[in-house]
Amino acid sequence: MGLRDVLFGRKKLKDPARERLFAISTARITLESELDLKPAGAAGVCFKSLSAGEFVRAENELQQLLEAVAGESGSKVERHTDEMGFEWFVVRDGDFEDLVTTVHLIANELQDRGFGPQLLAALFPFEGKFKEGRVYWIYGFKRGAFWPFVPTGKDQERDNAEELELKAKLEQELPIEQDLTRWFGLFDAPL
Amino acid sequence: MKRKAYGRDAGLTLRMILTSSLLGLLYVAFALALFYVFNAGLVLMLVIVIGLAVFQYYTSDKLALRASGAKIVSPEEAPQLHAMVERLAAMAELQKPRVAMVDTDVPNAFATGRNQKHAVVAVTRGLWDRLDEREIEGVLAHELTHIANRDVLVMTVASFFAMLAALLTRFGLYAGMFGGFGGGNRDSNNNSVPIWLIVIVVSFVTYIVSWVLIRTISRYREYAADRGSALITGAPEYLMSALQKISSQMTLIPQRDLREVEGMNAFFIIPARVKEGVSELFMDHPPLEKRLAALERIAREMGRPVS
Repeated sequence: MGLRDVLFGRKKLKDPARERLFAISTARITLESELDLKPAGAAGVCFKSLSAGEFVRAENELQQLLEAVAGESGSKVERHTDEMGFEWFVVRDGDFEDLVTTVHLIANELQDRGFGPQLLAALFPFEGKFKEGRVYWIYGFKRGAFWPFVPTGKDQERDNAEELELKAKLEQELPIEQDLTRWFGLFDAPL
Repeated sequence: MKRKAYGRDAGLTLRMILTSSLLGLLYVAFALALFYVFNAGLVLMLVIVIGLAVFQYYTSDKLALRASGAKIVSPEEAPQLHAMVERLAAMAELQKPRVAMVDTDVPNAFATGRNQKHAVVAVTRGLWDRLDEREIEGVLAHELTHIANRDVLVMTVASFFAMLAALLTRFGLYAGMFGGFGGGNRDSNNNSVPIWLIVIVVSFVTYIVSWVLIRTISRYREYAADRGSALITGAPEYLMSALQKISSQMTLIPQRDLREVEGMNAFFIIPARVKEGVSELFMDHPPLEKRLAALERIAREMGRPVS
């Protein structure tokens, strides 16, 4: 936030920071070799749909986006609306590099179509061989940083100890959100 | 009414008396200095400040509740919490205080109110969710001891002159900027040093020194409250683990969903914040290691297992 924003108030929402998203591609190797965590073959992009008045235009845009992404990448992409009224693009791809590229492409397309400021987060689930439940890395577009999210499966509980361990292990490779009070979860994501 | 002192600690009492008397001495010196250089308007100012202090003292419970966003909860809304407070208050020979909850993720607790009748204990949702029952009891007993020790009264008195000094510093600054103190005593400005400057300097020094002393007293009260908690619950190890949990990094991690938070902040315009408001349990508190060490000593005295 610049001085002008401080003086006159923010007039524009911040555009998303997309580029640091690719860091997860390299972090994946450490996740697998040191923590035995493998990508679950899917990822999600979460954003807030526009107000009702824009609904028709937004619908058209999103449909076009879906087609454009399907044409450009080999990944499977679906659309979901969750109980909290947020929109999701769920990407499925066995190849992790392609998965991340498609997520980045979706973020790009959303921004080009004017959804940039509504772009909330990308979600990357990982699975362990000896582990029940999944471990997630959330990428916050607003902050341009990742944070770990390990739900225990019981209500809205999460395993903070494991999350902090994940942070410690990947500090070198991922741009991790240093403000722990911003590590919000994404419970019951549609993927 | 007979006040019950929890766990006499001769050294602590001595240090408290020492600091309090230092503070008293400082205030007397401050008052004399004020009176000497500056006599007109003093009465008025004293009336204002005393009025403010009295107001603060009598509304301390409401002010603290308002400032922290705590809401009084009924026994129906929070039966477990009420039962716990009731039990502990009985142990501490206190009237049962009102019970409040603060809707925030940050684990914390505070007690306020000028006397037993007006006392309130408040816990945050984060504290209630993250600590187990015995640990919450330890924290509640700590807060109840603050009530038993009448810490609101002690701190109000202690900070009274600091308030006065702060106010005078500001008055002095305005007077300096707009010329003349109280209008009437222009002729006294013949001195080489203007009065408002002396007032500012004296007030400022008083403010700084009293601030340090107040912090020191406040820290001693915390040790006393920790000791009280140990005696009420009979198990200081739970307060120890509660303190460790509260101060650990983990408690910074929110329990809410990103969408929920972003939904509340209409379209991301206002940055999401969970860390606002109360930090009472750690404000002006001694360092954690020292508190733990003191509690460990108590635990050993009581013959409790300490890991």
